Amino acid sequence: MPASSTDAVGRAPAASWAVLQRWDTTLPVWIAAALLLVFLIVLPLGSIFRASLWDETGFSLGRYLEVFTNAVFLKAIWNTVVISFWVGVISVVVGALLAWLVTRTDLPWKKPIRALVMASFVTPPFLGAFAWTLLAGPNAGALNKFYRSLTGAEDALFNIFTMPGLIFVMALYSFPYVFSMVANVCELISSDLEDAAEILGANKWQTAWTVTMPLALPALIGGFILAFLHSLSLFGAPAILGLPAGIHTITTQIWALFQYPPRLDMAAAFSVPLLLATMALIALQKKILGRRGFSTVGGKGGQKRLIRFGWGRVPVLLLVLGILSLSVFLPYWILLKAALSNAWAMPLTWDNFTLKNFSFAFFEYGDTQRAIYNTFKLGILTATIGTLVATLIAYITNRNLFRGARYLTFFALAPLVIPGIVLAVGLFIAYTRPPLVLYGTIWILFVAYLTKEMPIGFSQAESTFKSIHPELEDASRIIGANRLLSLKDVTVPLARSGLIAAWSFIFIGVIRELSASILLFSPASKVVSVVIFDLKEEGQVGVISVLGILLLAASFAVVLAMQWFAGRDVVATRE
Amino acid sequence: MATVSFHGLTKKFTGMAAVDDLRLEIKDGEFVSLLGPSGCGKTTTLRLVAGFLQPDAGEIRVNDKIISSASTLIPPERRNMSMIFQSYAIWPHMTVFQNVAYGLKFKKLAGREIDEKTERLLRVVHLEALKARYPAELSGGQQQRVALARALVVEPQILLLDEPLSNLDANLREEMRFEIRRLHEEFGITTIYVTHDQAEAMVTSDRIVVLNKGRMVQVGTPSEIFDQPRTRFVAEFIGKTNILSGQLQDGNAVSLAPDLQIRVADGSVSTASGETFVCIRPHNFVLTADESEARELASKGFNLFSGVLERRIYFGDAVDYTVTLALPPVSLRVVTPPSRQFDKGQRVFALAHPDQCVLVGDD
Repeated sequence: MPASSTDAVGRAPAASWAVLQRWDTTLPVWIAAALLLVFLIVLPLGSIFRASLWDETGFSLGRYLEVFTNAVFLKAIWNTVVISFWVGVISVVVGALLAWLVTRTDLPWKKPIRALVMASFVTPPFLGAFAWTLLAGPNAGALNKFYRSLTGAEDALFNIFTMPGLIFVMALYSFPYVFSMVANVCELISSDLEDAAEILGANKWQTAWTVTMPLALPALIGGFILAFLHSLSLFGAPAILGLPAGIHTITTQIWALFQYPPRLDMAAAFSVPLLLATMALIALQKKILGRRGFSTVGGKGGQKRLIRFGWGRVPVLLLVLGILSLSVFLPYWILLKAALSNAWAMPLTWDNFTLKNFSFAFFEYGDTQRAIYNTFKLGILTATIGTLVATLIAYITNRNLFRGARYLTFFALAPLVIPGIVLAVGLFIAYTRPPLVLYGTIWILFVAYLTKEMPIGFSQAESTFKSIHPELEDASRIIGANRLLSLKDVTVPLARSGLIAAWSFIFIGVIRELSASILLFSPASKVVSVVIFDLKEEGQVGVISVLGILLLAASFAVVLAMQWFAGRDVVATRE
Repeated sequence: MATVSFHGLTKKFTGMAAVDDLRLEIKDGEFVSLLGPSGCGKTTTLRLVAGFLQPDAGEIRVNDKIISSASTLIPPERRNMSMIFQSYAIWPHMTVFQNVAYGLKFKKLAGREIDEKTERLLRVVHLEALKARYPAELSGGQQQRVALARALVVEPQILLLDEPLSNLDANLREEMRFEIRRLHEEFGITTIYVTHDQAEAMVTSDRIVVLNKGRMVQVGTPSEIFDQPRTRFVAEFIGKTNILSGQLQDGNAVSLAPDLQIRVADGSVSTASGETFVCIRPHNFVLTADESEARELASKGFNLFSGVLERRIYFGDAVDYTVTLALPPVSLRVVTPPSRQFDKGQRVFALAHPDQCVLVGDD
């Protein structure tokens, strides 16, 4: 039938044009972003389960059995639970107290206090831990020397290389999480609710116990879980303070399994309990916060009357500053002193003053130079690409672009339940073998950071998109802009402050990252946090301090720039 | 130049039909309103036309080419349409000029041409003096004009308006109704206008489509819809009305009570024997207290109701009365010019010509 075949040939271009007309040309971009996200999450988790269950001899549950029978592993699990529990308790007490003082009382200097809480939040815990080795090490620790010179005693007052010392330092850098949750709630509980109880005859204590506490309780429990989770996933602080005393936690034990001779399969198997515990706790936290949530407290909160301390303000303020000096002033002071002196333990006199630590770190020592370069390169790269991907994903879920789009939220938030070291175990296993061998390059770190920071970037972008009326974008589409152009010309400019915040959070998160980096670095791809960890072994106190100050300075610069550009408060917006 | 047609257009949300089997032909250059209460599916219909939603069944055709169906969805940006939104959706980060010029970026025009077209449209909507302003510095009416200019500058084949006036205050709303009609007459663009305000639909439209629960109830010119409502819903939704129920006797007589029969207009409403409804607009009554005048009108064929004046509300340009009838035992609303006034408690007669007594269906 020649006629009909001619027809078919003749029609072919028309048909394909029609297909093209009907095809949303931006679809590949969305699908690519979605696949990338799924790939980022599924690959490391899949690798962990595979490596923990299968080996050359086939399927076996033996490794899980060993995790729960080997005394060494059990001890690490027990230590982790004890440490995290106490960190949670202390964080709730300190965090809730500060939050209440800052929001509901007439305490002076509230803004500086908030800024200092933010400073503790931004300080990498491993840096705080390192500073505290200088402050409260049993022999040369500055506080112990001060104590000895004061009393003439021979022994040390503090020994930071102990279980209580470790708990103390980890709590110092976990309490800001509780602070921000409780402060949010306290700002929402209006005095009306309390007045209502008092009018009905309740006294101050009965009101506090029956009204205020129950309203704040979800935040307190949620804060406890958050602090618990935070300390569960920390690697730097327990490694710096616990290992010298022979205290292993799950994270340091996983790290130890990577040392020669490496037991990747055991590291994978040992990661799974940590992963499951994190998942369970997040689910529990969601349940607690979701059920009574903040909605009972909700709205604008109405009038708030501040509780007056009068003259009592001075001792309360001193208490607050005392707490913050433990997390900020003392550690920063000792780092600065160590960075500027020849011998860090000596008084900072003109003879002891030097800038050689700076010149050594920045100009002479190849390792630190390369690490600084790598850290900032990765910070900028991850923040930029991460914000981009998070924006695309948040857009897909927000606009429900295709069937199943809302499940992407689950994937984007999944890294929240993956502790950094667990992620690193998965990525190490996945990327040391073909098809994609990234180990040995900085790209494996990039993938790790991109994955780990996805939740914060996503939730920032998502909450900003929610506040933008979809009609603003419909308006540009109907007059000729496709989805990508609408996103670029309308939504992104309007979401600017949220996206700047996302970029900043990712950047700060990346440059302080240690727990994943410590397993994934190679000599050519060291980053600052890893170098700090390494130099600690060599006792290079001055250089470490310089690097620490550099990290802090960069973080604060970004925070200030963000507040300048986007008018955002860091502590208030995270989680 | 564009015609639009719906062929069995259906859209479901979680199993519930928001738009149910719409069939409609819109002529080129016609101004059609979709009118109905909130939740009737009018905005969903508009978003289906715009391509923001995909139908579950049926088709939308423009110039007989399918643009939306369950299997086809030409994206909004390639439909050559414009839309004006309830929230105006003026971009706050662009100036008035940038807002209006934006759509021309996709038309492959020279920069000078873009400027000229934008300037021209800004003159049409009287905004040339404000072109460098940002939307936050404009009043609601001015923002509305920006939205109009932005939608018209791209010379769309079809213009869609989604309750564009609902955020304006009453005076401005009236002014903008005429403005929208004026622009329609100037540009002659095929227009679909969504509103829940019958006055807006009356002023602007060539034809009105009344929607209820996702279905088309009646289509017609404003006067057809108002004077010959086909159902109770249409009669009650459009303007104030009295609905009386009774038994249909023959073609033109309805028995309201055992001793009360009225004549009604020749209706095309086919009701099964049994209950039927008569719609009489409040302003179609003649109200009098003079019994002889009432008898005289009744002898000319007017339907006569007698009752007691229950309530009187003075509006300045009209008086709104409530008359409680003896038979049937209901209250009538009667609106008269203020030249004749009656007092509360007075015995009055309300008369309505059979042409103004319209049979309506129950749906």
